[in-house]
Amino acid sequence: MKMKKVITTFSLFCLILVSCDFDEGFEELNINPTKVAQLDVNNKFASVFLRASGGRYENWRASLIYSSCIVQHIASTATYWTGNFYTRNEGYATSLFDRAYPEQVKEIEDIIFQLNEEGNSGTAMGVARIWRVFIYHRLTDLYGDIPYSEAGKGFIDGILKPKYDAQQDIYMNILAELEAATGQLGADTLGVSDLVFQGDVNKWKKFGNSMMLRLAMRLTKVDAASAQSWASKAIAAGTMTSNEDIAYIQHTAGPGGINKNGHGEVFTADGNPRLAKTFVDFLQGDPRLPILAARRSDGSTDPADLIGLPNGLTSGALETKYGTFSEDYAEPNRNVITGEDAPMVFQTYAEVEFLKAEAAVRGWYNGDAKTHYENGVKAAMQMLSQLYPNAATISDAQVADYLTARPFDMANAMKMIHEQYWVVTFLNEYEAFANWRRTGYPELEPFGGEAVYDGNVTQGTIPRRMIYPNGESSTNPDSFAEAIARQGENEFTTRVWWDR
Amino acid sequence: MKINNLLCLLALAFGHVVLAQNITGNVTDENGVPLPGATVLLEGTSQGVSTDFDGNYSIEASSGDNLVFSFVGYSSQTLTVGSNSQINVQLLPDNALEEVVVTALGIKRNIKALGYSVTQVGGEEINTVKNTNAINALQGKIAGVQISGNATGAKGSSRVIIRGNSSLSGNNQPLYVIDGITINNSNLGSAGVWGGSDAGDGISALNPDEVESVSVLKGGAAAALYGSRASNGVILITTKSGSSTEGLGVELSSSFQFDDIKNDPYDPQTTYGQGRDYSTDSDNADTYANWGLPLDGSSVEQWDGISRPYSYKGNNLEKFYKSGSTFINTIALSNNTDKSNMRLSFSNLQNSDIIPNSTLERNTLGLNASQQFGNFSATINTKYINDDSVGAPRLSDSPGNANFGIRLFAPSIDVNDMLGAGGLGTNEDGTEFRTSDNTFSQNPWFAAYQYFNYSVRERFIGSAEVRWDIFEFLYLTGRFGNDRYDYRRTSGTPFGTAYQPLGSMQEYSLTNIQNDGDLFLGTNNLKLIDDLALTAFAGIGKNYQKSESVTANGSNFIVPFLYNVKNTENQSTGYGFSERKINSAYGSVELGFKEALYFTITARNDWFSTLSLPGKTTPNNDLYTSASLSLVLSDLVALPEIFTFLKFRGGYSQVAGGANSPYALNLTYGIYGQGHQGASLGNISNNTIPNENITPFEKNETEVGFDLRMFDNRASLDFTYYSNETDGDIVGVSASPTSGFNSALANLGVITNKGIEMLFNFRPIQQNDFSWDLTFNYSNNTSEIVSTNDTGTNISLDEPRSRNLRVTHIVGEQYGALFGTSYNRDAQGRIIHDIDPDGTPIPKIGDRKILGFGITPVSVGLTNSFRYKNFNFSFLIEGKNGGQIYSGTNALSKYFGAHKATIDADGRENGFTVSGVDAAGAAFTTTIAPDRIEDYWRRTYSIAEEAIYDSDYLRLRQLSLGYSFPSSVLENTFIRNASVSLIGRNLFFLQNSVENVDPESGYNVSNSQGLEWFGLPVPRSIGMNINLKF
Repeated sequence: MKMKKVITTFSLFCLILVSCDFDEGFEELNINPTKVAQLDVNNKFASVFLRASGGRYENWRASLIYSSCIVQHIASTATYWTGNFYTRNEGYATSLFDRAYPEQVKEIEDIIFQLNEEGNSGTAMGVARIWRVFIYHRLTDLYGDIPYSEAGKGFIDGILKPKYDAQQDIYMNILAELEAATGQLGADTLGVSDLVFQGDVNKWKKFGNSMMLRLAMRLTKVDAASAQSWASKAIAAGTMTSNEDIAYIQHTAGPGGINKNGHGEVFTADGNPRLAKTFVDFLQGDPRLPILAARRSDGSTDPADLIGLPNGLTSGALETKYGTFSEDYAEPNRNVITGEDAPMVFQTYAEVEFLKAEAAVRGWYNGDAKTHYENGVKAAMQMLSQLYPNAATISDAQVADYLTARPFDMANAMKMIHEQYWVVTFLNEYEAFANWRRTGYPELEPFGGEAVYDGNVTQGTIPRRMIYPNGESSTNPDSFAEAIARQGENEFTTRVWWDR
Repeated sequence: MKINNLLCLLALAFGHVVLAQNITGNVTDENGVPLPGATVLLEGTSQGVSTDFDGNYSIEASSGDNLVFSFVGYSSQTLTVGSNSQINVQLLPDNALEEVVVTALGIKRNIKALGYSVTQVGGEEINTVKNTNAINALQGKIAGVQISGNATGAKGSSRVIIRGNSSLSGNNQPLYVIDGITINNSNLGSAGVWGGSDAGDGISALNPDEVESVSVLKGGAAAALYGSRASNGVILITTKSGSSTEGLGVELSSSFQFDDIKNDPYDPQTTYGQGRDYSTDSDNADTYANWGLPLDGSSVEQWDGISRPYSYKGNNLEKFYKSGSTFINTIALSNNTDKSNMRLSFSNLQNSDIIPNSTLERNTLGLNASQQFGNFSATINTKYINDDSVGAPRLSDSPGNANFGIRLFAPSIDVNDMLGAGGLGTNEDGTEFRTSDNTFSQNPWFAAYQYFNYSVRERFIGSAEVRWDIFEFLYLTGRFGNDRYDYRRTSGTPFGTAYQPLGSMQEYSLTNIQNDGDLFLGTNNLKLIDDLALTAFAGIGKNYQKSESVTANGSNFIVPFLYNVKNTENQSTGYGFSERKINSAYGSVELGFKEALYFTITARNDWFSTLSLPGKTTPNNDLYTSASLSLVLSDLVALPEIFTFLKFRGGYSQVAGGANSPYALNLTYGIYGQGHQGASLGNISNNTIPNENITPFEKNETEVGFDLRMFDNRASLDFTYYSNETDGDIVGVSASPTSGFNSALANLGVITNKGIEMLFNFRPIQQNDFSWDLTFNYSNNTSEIVSTNDTGTNISLDEPRSRNLRVTHIVGEQYGALFGTSYNRDAQGRIIHDIDPDGTPIPKIGDRKILGFGITPVSVGLTNSFRYKNFNFSFLIEGKNGGQIYSGTNALSKYFGAHKATIDADGRENGFTVSGVDAAGAAFTTTIAPDRIEDYWRRTYSIAEEAIYDSDYLRLRQLSLGYSFPSSVLENTFIRNASVSLIGRNLFFLQNSVENVDPESGYNVSNSQGLEWFGLPVPRSIGMNINLKF
């Protein structure tokens, strides 16, 4: 009797159980109401343009602390400005590598994948491919062999450990990419998400070819034949023709960090950088000096007040040797160029003119080196007022005076051209570093000629690259080991392929 | 005489007109020893008395009344008052075999029948020495349960690990159940490599005074009925109800504790002051640099331009940290009748931490009530908790971390000089009074007083249960529970901070809701046939969780010092939302034979919303089962007399876990920021490559053990051996960041844990007025990572700020290896150096190697309790052994020259002697010049091996000395019970293997254990408790 009651009750219960639908509504519940499964490619373009301009993190570390001090644009007495002393800070050196892959490479590969899926082979694809080359070229110039063909494809192809491509292969590939990409640029435009050229497709074409020229000239030490053939191709296809073609993004002082100029954010947070003595000495008599520099202590832009801080000295050593303090020196002009709303410049028309001048000197191009040199200097000087609202306009007369005082001398062509290239790439430090390594100009002395800093990790020489993050040895061990075996020790002194 | 007889006759006739007489007597235990504090209750009333120190009692009762004699741990006896006015009673101990523990789903079961290990402790373990996070009071008390303390302050979270870590990167903390409902224990924010603070977890809201008992279900067999959320064990907490009082009662409990850092191990050098390169003639804003000349009292200019004597200024830690205090006051009103009971309580906690400007106030209001009517009984348990916290300290990386500078400032620098013209670390204009040339290292006063972090959490935890006894042997129980909290936090970086001059702030609001419902039908001890009894139940359950957050961020204040998020130039907003459901069906069958052999099987099937996706082909549900066996040998076979009780038990179980995050199955995009010049910004929202076919992992466990009691229950030994394996753990398979992602999700991890748990109880002395109890528990767990993914690559977890080490899971090794850069050594183990042109050897940085493990395998605890007359004294020694720790404090202390290791026996003026080999292999012994010692030690910062220490410790964890007022003193007052005790916690170390820091100084409760970086000192607490019952 008891058992019967138990069994009846249990059976009833089980019946109820079986009739329940245990996962009703679960599929809808698991869809994220705040995200989507796919996005219009235009939204992604705007984002990847800003990401390539960079945030404060990598601009502070790889661009300013290391690259700008190595080329002696900037100097600082603070010991954490490791590029000033050639000391080691792994996190600073690897910062561009650490940030570019998840923020820039992954997104650009995703855009290209989406465009392929959509069957888009017009302007959008062309722009995407050009921008991809831009992103990768900085990485390979700074680090050497890097993951390229397999990079950023963790979700697309499931490649978790991309192999490191040899820099030579990367260069050949990206040059070919630029050629193909510029061919794809058509009539349609990106519209408002084109933060670089505001939808002007012609400018993209010129930029693509100008990048081809830049990359071609990078090869002069190691593969002159390729350099010549690509340079000629680029010039023939049509490069930048005026300051209107400068490739840059205009930033705003907010609302978020992503909208701000990464260099500007550094200057807000860090009062330690000064203009290096090497740089200020070269800018004597240059009308750009009072625009770019101001004295730290009182903001004076009178050239007589502007002195450059020697690299390689701590504040104690500075006081001991010269009796001066960091306050007395010139820093980047906080009224003009250091704002969070400053533009981030990727390539200037002046650089193109300088590269053409060099091509002419080498006999690869049928132009007049002197004319191109002078065009470059004029463009470099007059672009400042165009880019920076608070910059004084440099008149044609001032340009002419400057050129008369320093006439172009064919015997010293490379020196003069690339010293000017060095000036115009101020705050485009990755490019300045790459070009100095390739050309050897300006002629820099380690530590700006000051005493060797104890504790430097380059045996007293100027660094030739940035180091890979050590973390790769545990997350990507085989490819990492292969790259080091091929390129050389993971040190600041190892030369990349085009620098040999 | 006649009148008396007549009255008695009348009394008998009318039944309830009573002639009370004074009944006296003596209550003793089974050995004839008087039992003080035993209760004598007049049945059916709320009148009762307690026996005095000699076991004597005196109560008014009449013939025919029943007197109930009871005492905890003894079987109650009821005796009727007859003509004799003296009633002596001898109580016999509760047959421990009838001991009942709370098991899964709140079902109480006889411990005899359980085939798995369950440990139950009483509330006094938690409320004697009270902790602001109640669960920390259980450290060292339960074998197999390892509770890790933290250096994150009084509001800190706790990491509780039962039987090892079962998941490589998922959650390893147990499920907490309070009064039958599962509660949310998420950590509301924690510190990582870039800094942050610990915003507390869920279990910290529990008021220690309200805990009646804690039952720990350690293994899979115990927890299988909780399904997928119980893969790490379950901690069941029962709060006090009215049923433990006699009649109407009021309970008052008051405790205060004071914290200080007198035991802090930090011991820096005090010989050399601020300076670099063995000179004082350098950048004096580099205040952490301890590389100057020996202190000589001369006048030097310091970081702020003011000249002060170059001499030892005293211990900066003692100047900065203050005395902390915790006051906990609870008042409770309870009533108990035979059909109902209730308890209403209110508690207030006020804590002031050792770091300035950090306080916590917690108010808890609770009502537990239960009522029986006919065949129904209904119970409700409700708690309302309000947490108000000011100033959660920042940890790890230096920005805003006050603990950072305090330990690193050179000895010639006095932290009291850093208060600034505006006070509390500010200049006259209110901006940061900078004390370092590094903008990211804050003035400690500024960091403690000007950074702001206020949070309020309002929480309601409630459950209601109705039980219907349909027939005598069949019941139906329905239970519903809700844990809901609203968390509001305002935090920010002040205006005038060196690295963010215009400041920023955030308003954050989070609502978290969790509902549980269960309905089950069961039978208890139903006799099927002779000697065979059935206890079984079957039911369905549902769990729903929802979390919604709104964030408003603002940076760059427009009006200085006006901390309102609308007063900012750049504003951005955030919104987060997630919800998930688990529906389940479960059942359990237990067959008992002769009340000596029990066999139990359970099964549960969970359906997950987190595994559901349109078009998905793999299943979204999972079945878990368990089987266990218990054999009470002493009931079946005659054993030698010394063995009072012997039981063997064993079980096998399968539980599951993981699949916790909703929306994890596909790649998604989101819009972020506010656009740029009219264009919206969109990007991939995943940092981990998603996997549509994820399933929960499976954890299989086998456990065997025995429970032995000897010498009349004076000694007992409980031993368990367990072995578990997690299969298909959801791992973030390491990807090179160059793939665009940090990891990919896959069910590929396999991890095993094997270990033993042992609990030994012994009462060496048991006399009339003196007894001594000893409890020793020991556990040892060995973990092994069997597989990480298809190619056996490492899984990387967090790294410390030095970024030269990572907590990594490596196949074939234990959980959580500390994998970092090492010294480069030759075949004989000698360290290889590069020799600088001036002869200074600088050690080469070697490859990354396994330098240790952050998880400690061995935990021990020894409690000694003494009782002498009305006094009681007990102390707990607790320790851990076998693990390692990477100490950021020691690493930077060496880098900056604050560490004593940077000084040779004869001082820096005579150089520093180093031996090793050079790059060519030639051995050398060199004395480094005084001004180059710094470069040698700066290099060691990049070598993680230099900062690895064993984290073994043994400490006097807890001590209490108490006095219970005898009933003879209280007889004429309305106080029923009164006791007072002196308590202490973390009193001193018996062993500490780490120098300069407390081994329990982690900065978060994540799976990346073994990392220490400038947390708070772990304080020592001394205080007093007073308990009164009316």
